[in-house]
Amino acid sequence: MKSLADVQNALLAGAVHFVLPEVVLVGTACLLFVLAVVYPRRTAAVGLALIGLTWAVALTYSVGSGETTAFWAFVEGTPYSPHLLAAIDPTGLAALIRWLALASGFIFVLLAWPEIQDHNAGEYLGCLLVMIAGSSLIGRVNDLVSLFLALEMVSIPTYVLLYLPLRGRGEQEAAVKYFLLSILSSGVLLFGFSYLYGLTGTTNLGALLAVLSAAHQHAITPMALIAILMVIAAFGFRISAVPFQFYAPDVYQGGPTGVVAQIAFIPKFIGFVALVRVLGLVIRPQDGLPFEASTTLIPLVLWVMAIVTMTFGNVLALLQDDLKRLLAYSGIAHSGYMLIGIVVACGLPGNSTPALSGVDATLFYLIAYGLMTVGAFALILYWNSQERPIRTIDNLGGLGESHPLSAALMTVFLFSLIGMPMTAGFAGKFMLFVSAFEAPVEPPMQNLYRILAVVAAVNAAIGAVYYLRIVGVMYLRDPLHPVSSARRAVLPLFAACLCAIGTVAFGVYPRLIADSTQQATPLVEVPGNAAVVARM
Amino acid sequence: MSDPTNLALLALGLPLLATILAAVMGTCSTLAKWAHLPVVTAFAGSAILALLVLSKVMQATGSEVAFLSTAQTWFHAGNLQVDFQITVDPLSALMLMTVTFVGTWIAVFSVGYMHDDPGYARYFSLMALFVFSMCLLILASDLLLLVAGWEGVGLCSYLLIGYYYAKPSAAAAARKAFLVTRLGDVGMILGIFLFWQAGGYHTNFDKLFAHITANPPDSVTLTTACLLLFCGAIGKSAQFPLYVWLPDAMEGPTPVSALIHAATMVTAGVYLLARAMPLFVLSPDAQIVVALIGGFTAILSAFIALAQHDLKRVLAYSTVSQLGYMFMALGAGGPVSANLVVTAAIFHVFTHAFFKALLFLSSGSVMHAMGNVIDMRKFGGLRTLMPVTHITFLCGAAALAGFPLLSGFWSKDLIIDMVYQASEHGGSHATLYGLVFLTALVTAFLTAFYTFRAYFLTFWGELRTPPEAGHHAQESPLGLLAPLIVLAFGAVLAGITVEPFAHGFSNLLVKAPSVVLANSVLHVEAEATHPHFDFALAGISTLLALSGMALAWWHYRTGIETVPAALKSVYRLSENKLYVDEIFNGMFVKPAEWLAVLSRLCDGLLDGVARVVSFIPRLIGALLKPLQNGLVQFYALGMVLGLAVFLTVVVVRTSQ
Repeated sequence: MKSLADVQNALLAGAVHFVLPEVVLVGTACLLFVLAVVYPRRTAAVGLALIGLTWAVALTYSVGSGETTAFWAFVEGTPYSPHLLAAIDPTGLAALIRWLALASGFIFVLLAWPEIQDHNAGEYLGCLLVMIAGSSLIGRVNDLVSLFLALEMVSIPTYVLLYLPLRGRGEQEAAVKYFLLSILSSGVLLFGFSYLYGLTGTTNLGALLAVLSAAHQHAITPMALIAILMVIAAFGFRISAVPFQFYAPDVYQGGPTGVVAQIAFIPKFIGFVALVRVLGLVIRPQDGLPFEASTTLIPLVLWVMAIVTMTFGNVLALLQDDLKRLLAYSGIAHSGYMLIGIVVACGLPGNSTPALSGVDATLFYLIAYGLMTVGAFALILYWNSQERPIRTIDNLGGLGESHPLSAALMTVFLFSLIGMPMTAGFAGKFMLFVSAFEAPVEPPMQNLYRILAVVAAVNAAIGAVYYLRIVGVMYLRDPLHPVSSARRAVLPLFAACLCAIGTVAFGVYPRLIADSTQQATPLVEVPGNAAVVARM
Repeated sequence: MSDPTNLALLALGLPLLATILAAVMGTCSTLAKWAHLPVVTAFAGSAILALLVLSKVMQATGSEVAFLSTAQTWFHAGNLQVDFQITVDPLSALMLMTVTFVGTWIAVFSVGYMHDDPGYARYFSLMALFVFSMCLLILASDLLLLVAGWEGVGLCSYLLIGYYYAKPSAAAAARKAFLVTRLGDVGMILGIFLFWQAGGYHTNFDKLFAHITANPPDSVTLTTACLLLFCGAIGKSAQFPLYVWLPDAMEGPTPVSALIHAATMVTAGVYLLARAMPLFVLSPDAQIVVALIGGFTAILSAFIALAQHDLKRVLAYSTVSQLGYMFMALGAGGPVSANLVVTAAIFHVFTHAFFKALLFLSSGSVMHAMGNVIDMRKFGGLRTLMPVTHITFLCGAAALAGFPLLSGFWSKDLIIDMVYQASEHGGSHATLYGLVFLTALVTAFLTAFYTFRAYFLTFWGELRTPPEAGHHAQESPLGLLAPLIVLAFGAVLAGITVEPFAHGFSNLLVKAPSVVLANSVLHVEAEATHPHFDFALAGISTLLALSGMALAWWHYRTGIETVPAALKSVYRLSENKLYVDEIFNGMFVKPAEWLAVLSRLCDGLLDGVARVVSFIPRLIGALLKPLQNGLVQFYALGMVLGLAVFLTVVVVRTSQ
């Protein structure tokens, strides 16, 4: 039998095989930085970035489910759980997250096209690829240090990206604000992580959660609550949950549209994934959740955060005329909806098997949100031009007539954001609301879940007002400042088309994605080969 | 194709195909004038298929005959499972035959009648849809599928009565027909769901009947549900108090009236009750209500028909009255065994379809010649001018009046016999059935009188034509006359050949599953398979019919209407339709209008409330807006303070 040290060494040595696509992405990014100096051309940079992404996709595809098999093979014949030992854990969410990150990478490269020039193309796309690599890693890192590293692999390139297409004071202001507030949140995160390490003596996420769960069987450690609240606050910044949302409207309004599209999706995406991992919702510790509803107030904090976030986002979006600012508030509101799934998952007892575990609903909604929001930004990018910038809703007047295709795509995204049936937004909201309604009505949360679902439904109704207003302006109003019909880049339109196809396809047939999100978040994990077989 | 359900499905599909074809042809102006081709062909094809289906059903042996198509789930939600499935049993086969056969000849008549009309293709497309809906209704083996056909019929009646949509009276009549029948439909849907709930959550006829008869719910529920179901029949089959739409329905083209009155619409209610006989026989109280409503409607509308000036209106009221007869018969089920009453009702549907279609098409022929004038005061003595129409109308009128040996005589006599038997052994309701019996006799007399009044006023006396007629005033072309002649043979012979000696209907209907079940509920052995012929009753009704005809001859043979002074007030009452429309107007329409005004006030109020409510989110937003002040130090402070609040609350609560 292999000793513990053997297993640890094997896991450490084998870890590199679990991050090959990310290595390729970062390597391509390095090449791009070099290319930016020796051959500053936009087409070359985009081509190289696409090659890198394609290579990563090919690697991901060729690995398939082999990496989970390999992962379990390390501990075969030993009594050790690899979740408690490995720094990189390719089970559970990991594969799905990597696919999503890579897919979003392609979309963002398409969106980058109109915003980059020859002189900054290399840096821009290099940073983008590092971000993609970082967000792909979030799904599989199993260690506080590597988790922080992955998070910073997303944050630091974002600062650069916000600063790169420097045009005016507005953009500078946005970049600085984001930078300052982001490092504040990173600081809080590190603070929380250091407490967690101090309490448990390990940086391995699985081991850490197992220790905390075991400890919380007897008594709650207040220090652990402080630590986890700090972590939640830091992730709250990334998902723009109230009261950590302040930066979002200003940054969205001031930042370059293509980068804002990234900020609207990637930090939220990694924030939620990191949150569910740190709360132990994906691979549940054996002794139950460390911060569950019956013993701690953490789910209640998240509950309050969900309600306040969705309401804050919606009521402020009502008053907005600036399109990107409106989408910022809409993004805040949608984060509130997505928190529902996490609140529900926190309250589920370990042995229950509901149809929806909450986390899968959140994941589904995250995908739907990404499609519709990024699609909307892509269209803003497509319509925007130097002489006729798209800033306010009024700028969209008459688009239904002058740009019928793109206006129709925008309508699809807006309907999906409202949650109209046959769109991914509807399927996502439906899953979230159902997960909240089906959650067990037991003492700790009692009917709080139902209240949550009702508040969310009221919010969805409020949300419809401002989305429909945009549709109304596009189709019913004569153009005040007509969008110029000059030749424009078609790549963002192409990206929008892809997003719209996804929005409709996942709305009409949600199982396309719902099956994978459900498989990625099993409530009860079966160790060993059984799990591998179940995933095949 | 040997399975009759396949034939029936084809018979059902043909009119639908014709609907689509005719509608498509309507989009092209050169094709539009050929729109009748697919429709007439489809109807004829359906009629032939229906005949084949009927022969298959007749050949089938056994005490119970029913063929079911394979069930396809139409929709399924929780306890509610509705299948698309059709039933071919003696009841549906006979109805299908009647509808498609009469429908075919009406379509043939329409070709000549609607000639050169701008909406030619629309007309034929709707006709086909009308017949399709009716066939669906007949063949459905599920209550909710029947409702689909039922509502289709309602929709088509609306579209066809309002065919001349530019004419305000036509639009109003269409609306009236739709809304009034809709009123009954509400009750019907409630009844269906009451049965659904009480009947083990089945809407399939067989399963529902089996469940209800095995575990009958309490009598109040049962009677309520039956009466609610009957509400639908009251609306569709124009019974009191919802009959008011039918006389107005002749605003549509005359062949449409013929279709509505003879084949596709008003018989739906009769059919529904015949099909649901196992449910109704369980509730004697519901049955006596059915019989009483039928009787009251019959005599009321016969009375109104006495003094109408409009030829089609006389016919319309006569339809209402004849439908009343059918419900009298159905209401007698219970005291009398189910197979007999269903035979009587369906046999009357069958004969009525012939003579009423004939009468309407004949009056259409008159109208065609008189330049769309239908007021009997403006023309007369058309006997010489339109000899063929005269003879066919006479055939229809005599059949309707119950002239011995013609079709109407046999079926009406059977109904009167049923009601008489019910009054003989009607249990606690025997007296009431006796009342219904008397009503039926009086109505028989009135029917003969008003029918022949209309006949004499139109065809006897000196020749008078209205100025609108112009050079049209001549016998109609062969295209119009051919269907008349065919239907005239039907009106004369359809009765005698089928039932009184051959017992075609009674032998067949006794094998219908719902009738078998109803009989078993009543503990009646089907030994009295066919009705005996009661010579005394037949004699009385013959006497009544002949005396009514004689009175009409004596009074109206000049073709001019004179009213004796003593009867002036009664005449006025009849002429003004007993002021029922006015009473309804005062009782329902006016209060509804007041309610509408009141609702508008409430609406304004609610609107205000809604505005205030919708203002709240904006207000909250405006209050929160200063938080986003753009100062990064404030933002950082906000984040830290938020974290501090969370920490304080959680730590304090946990350490307590």
